[in-house]
Amino acid sequence: MPLCLRGKKLMFGLIHNELLKITGRWRSFIGFIGIGVLMPFILWGFSYGGGEIHDEYVRQLGDSFIVVGSIFNAFLATYIVMNAFWIHMPFLVALAAGDAVAAEGAAGTFRIILTRSTSRLKILFAKLFATWIYTTLLILFLAFMCLGVGTLWLGSGDLIVFDKGILILDQNEAWIRMALSFGLAILVMYVVATLCFMFSTMVNNGIGPIIGAIFLIVIGYIIMAIPLDMFEKMEPYIFVTYFDVWQQAFKEPIPWDRIAKSLGVLSLYTAGFIGISVAVFLRKDIKS
Amino acid sequence: MILETQNLSKSFGTQEAVDNLSLEIPEGSVFGFLGPNGSGKSTTIRMMTDLIRPDAGEVFIQGKSVQKYHQKALSGVGAFIERADFYKHLSARTNLEMLARMDGNGFENIPIILERVGLSERAGDKVKNYSQGMRQRLGIAQALLSKPKLLILDEPTNGLDPQGMKEVRDLVRELSSEGITIFISSHLLDEVQKICSHVAIIHLGQLIISGKMDDLLTESEWFTTEIRVKPVKKAKTVLENQDWVHRCEEKHGALFINTTSEKLPEVTALLVQNECAVEAVIPKTSLEELFLSKTGMNEPQSHRDSEKK
Repeated sequence: MPLCLRGKKLMFGLIHNELLKITGRWRSFIGFIGIGVLMPFILWGFSYGGGEIHDEYVRQLGDSFIVVGSIFNAFLATYIVMNAFWIHMPFLVALAAGDAVAAEGAAGTFRIILTRSTSRLKILFAKLFATWIYTTLLILFLAFMCLGVGTLWLGSGDLIVFDKGILILDQNEAWIRMALSFGLAILVMYVVATLCFMFSTMVNNGIGPIIGAIFLIVIGYIIMAIPLDMFEKMEPYIFVTYFDVWQQAFKEPIPWDRIAKSLGVLSLYTAGFIGISVAVFLRKDIKS
Repeated sequence: MILETQNLSKSFGTQEAVDNLSLEIPEGSVFGFLGPNGSGKSTTIRMMTDLIRPDAGEVFIQGKSVQKYHQKALSGVGAFIERADFYKHLSARTNLEMLARMDGNGFENIPIILERVGLSERAGDKVKNYSQGMRQRLGIAQALLSKPKLLILDEPTNGLDPQGMKEVRDLVRELSSEGITIFISSHLLDEVQKICSHVAIIHLGQLIISGKMDDLLTESEWFTTEIRVKPVKKAKTVLENQDWVHRCEEKHGALFINTTSEKLPEVTALLVQNECAVEAVIPKTSLEELFLSKTGMNEPQSHRDSEKK
C-alpha cells in the first residue's frame, strides 16, 4: 500500500478509536440528553404560550404588513433558542473536550497507546479531530431539534428578525441563513473545544480543563460587559468578542467582511491553542 | 544489541531518578532488570519506550534512536508497563482491535493472541469485569499484538497467583524460544533467576552490575558463603588473614565469608589444618544474594541510611 494511503488509513483508524472512546463515556451524552430533553420542552412552551407572542408580533406589524401564515414558526423559535442557549453551549462542548487527552492520563492508558509505533503528533491530532467531530454532531443535533422537530411541531414560514429594524426573510432564504448561522456556530464551538483540549493536554483529570476553559470564556464575557475604556480597547483581541459571529447570518446584507474578520481572529486563536497543545503533549512525561 | 541505553539520565525536580545509565541488551536474550523500589527501574523503562524524555542520553532499539525516530524504533516493540490499564468500558477484543488499528494492522492476529493468553472465552466481556490476573494477561496480549522482536515487560506478574506466575514464566520461555528478545523487570528474584539469561541491577539510579546470569552467579566473590565451624573464633582468625577472603563475619554462631567458588575447597582444607571442625560449607550463590549484596540491602537499615546520607 502506498505510504500516503497507509497514513490516511492509520489516521482514520486513530479517529475511529477516539470516537469509540468518546461514545464510551456517559459524560459525552450529557449535551445530547440536555438538548434532547430541553428542546421538546421549549418547543412545547412555544406552542402553548406562543399565541401571545404571535398576537403581539401581528399587532406590531399589522399596520405595515399583510401577515400570511404563522409568524411564530420553527425559524423564529430556533432564533430565540440560539440566542438563549448560546452562552451555555461551550459548557456542553467542554464536557467531551476536557476528557480528550486528560482521561487517558487518569486511566493510565497512555502506557498502552504511547508505547506503540504511532507518533504522538498523530495521536494528538486524531483526538483533536474526534473532538471537533463530536462538537459538530452536538451543534447539528441542536439544529435538528430546533429546525427539524420544530418544523414538525410549529410549522415553517417566514423568519422575522428584530435587529435595528425589522428583517423579514422568506422561507427559502431563512433555510439558507439558518444553515450559515449553524455553520458559523460550529466554527465558534471549535474554538471552545480546542481551548478545552489545550487544557486537557496539561493535566490528568477531565474536570480541570472544563473549569479552565469556561473560566476564560466567562472572563471574556465579563470584560465585554464592563463599559470601561481600558476593557473596550481589549475587546478586539479577546476571542469571546467574536463568539456572536453566527448572528451575522441574520443581517441584511450579510456582512461578509465582518464574518471574515471574526473567523480570521478565531482561527488564529485556534491555531495558537493547537500549537500550545502540540508543544505540551510532545514534551509530556507519562509518569502515571 | 537489540536495545541499548547510552548515558541515560533523568531527574524529577531535585531528585535524580536515573543517573548516567548505560545498558546493552543482546538480541535473543531474556534480560532481567532488577532494583529495589525507587531505584529508577520504571523511569528507565519509560525512557526506553518514549513515555518519559531523558534529560540526557539516548535509547537505541535496533540501532534507531527512540527519542529521534519514535515510530521506526518502536515498530518491533511490544511493551507492558507496570499495570494493565485498559478502556474498561470496552471489551478485551475491542481494546485489542483499537490497538491493532493504531499499529496499522488487521484483526486476524487477535484471536490467536487471545487464545495464547487464555482469554478467548472472555474476549467479549468488558474489561471492567476482569480480575487483576485477567487484566495482566490482557496486558501481555496487547504487547504481543504487533508481533514484536523485543518485548519489554515491567512487573508482568504483579497481582498474579502462583499458577498465573508460572503461566507467565512459561509464556516468556516460549516467546524466547521463538527468538523474541525479552526485557523483564520484576521484584521476584527467584522468577528472574529461573527465566533470564542476562541480568542488570540498578540502585539509586545507577547501574551496579550487568552481565550473563551464569557468569555473575559463578563469580562468587559477590556472594556470602556460610561456614558452620567450631571453634568459630579461631576459624575467623585463620580466614581473616587470607587475602582472597574479602569479608569474614561471625553471625549466629557461624562464619559468613565472601570469596570465589574455586577457593571453597581451600577454605575447608585450611580450617581442618588449623584444627577447626568444619560441619558445613553452604555457598549462597542465588540471585537474591547477589541482589542484596550489591544493593546493600543485606546490611542493617541504620547502615543503609548512613550510606544514603
